[in-house]
Amino acid sequence: MTKLGDTANKRVVLAKVGLDGHDRGIQIVARGLRDGGFQVIYPGLWQTPEAVVRTVMDEDADWLGLSLLSGAHMTLVPRILGLLKEAGLEQVRILVGGIIPEDDIPALLAMGVSRVFGPGTPLSEIVDHMNQDLGPNRG
Amino acid sequence: MVNLARLSPSEDLAAAPEILWDRLVAGDRRALARLLTWISEDRLPSILQDRLRAHKRRAKAIAITGHGGVGKSSLVGRLIEHVRGLGKTVGVLACDPESPLTGGALLGDRARMPSLPDEGLFIRSVTSSRSEEAIARHLDLMILALDVFGFDVILIETAGAGQADTAIRDAADLVVLLVQPESGDDLQWQKAGVIEVADVLVVHKADLPTTDRMESQLRSMVNLPGCKEVPIVRVSSLKGTGLPELWKTLEKIDPIRSFKGHSLGSAWKLWNLARERLVRRFQEMSETQPIAALAGRLERGEINEDQATDDLLGLLRKTSGQVAP
Repeated sequence: MTKLGDTANKRVVLAKVGLDGHDRGIQIVARGLRDGGFQVIYPGLWQTPEAVVRTVMDEDADWLGLSLLSGAHMTLVPRILGLLKEAGLEQVRILVGGIIPEDDIPALLAMGVSRVFGPGTPLSEIVDHMNQDLGPNRG
Repeated sequence: MVNLARLSPSEDLAAAPEILWDRLVAGDRRALARLLTWISEDRLPSILQDRLRAHKRRAKAIAITGHGGVGKSSLVGRLIEHVRGLGKTVGVLACDPESPLTGGALLGDRARMPSLPDEGLFIRSVTSSRSEEAIARHLDLMILALDVFGFDVILIETAGAGQADTAIRDAADLVVLLVQPESGDDLQWQKAGVIEVADVLVVHKADLPTTDRMESQLRSMVNLPGCKEVPIVRVSSLKGTGLPELWKTLEKIDPIRSFKGHSLGSAWKLWNLARERLVRRFQEMSETQPIAALAGRLERGEINEDQATDDLLGLLRKTSGQVAP
């Protein structure tokens, strides 16, 4: 069988969590991933961590991309990772984007985040990373 | 405990479908989510397909359709709030288009629906491809899966649909067509197509000033003497008005009678299945030698398009699924 029409590993939820009303960046990433062949689910602004995890569960997503410009990443990211684990969704791979100080990146990666992308990252770099990191989810 | 996340049909052909089915019946959302993935990716083991097809559906499947931008997602969001307020559980399938070029999609319907976690609400975004008339492939199986899980009401939001996108008629019990003020003159409503398969017409964005004119135009032109009477309801999702009236109207319509009223017929349903199979077979075969040879002969002008099409159909018929890579 050829791979034509196969979308495995291609579902990604992109989310804005907490009181952060700037979604221009995440919309551009959404468009880039769409053009990269991903099925991008965007649930809108002001999501709670619980709502994001529920969306990831119902959508059977392979990826969760979090855009954080509010400075609350060291609080929100561990909280979401904890909720994912509680829900039995620890296989979902996490991307973080937005305004993240260099010094925080090693800690985020140590928590289990797959990659952190800062402002100015070419869209192709994100797509390439997602195509390479296939993870354990699908057979 | 079996790790559902790692459950895939290819991993353990005997055990995985059974486990998934038991979890689905027991009301495990992750099992429902994974089953829907298998359905949409054409990877549903045949044993589960048989079980789904044998299941007798209880919940009414209500489709919301209309042009892009007419407010389908917002109305579904409002309808969810209303129906949840009545204590009924709701399963939603929200279709958005898939790119014909890359297979990618931006599924944004959720953004206009309730986002707080709610045990009685399940929303799934699904893609519809160019050839599918604004609904997802295998939508019938997805609806059955939601019903096995046990929702009281199933809502389907089509992708932005054009005049001729009537496939939803076969998948859903009731079709609600949204129109908005300033969208077409009186002749528009006499045309064939999606307006024929609507069970309820909603004048949406009823907060706009020309709503009255739109509604009276619809009343006078759609419900002509001797034609099937179609209820017309005005709704504003912005203001949150008209939802109780819409829901009462939907509850009143007997889906069986309505379906018989203008079913597309079993022959067309069969054709839809056959077409699906042809598409899949072509996808499997598209890079094989016989098709490449045929394409080559066409390119060199040895045969014309008409003849090549016949030959292609012949090739697709000869190979009954067993194709070498």
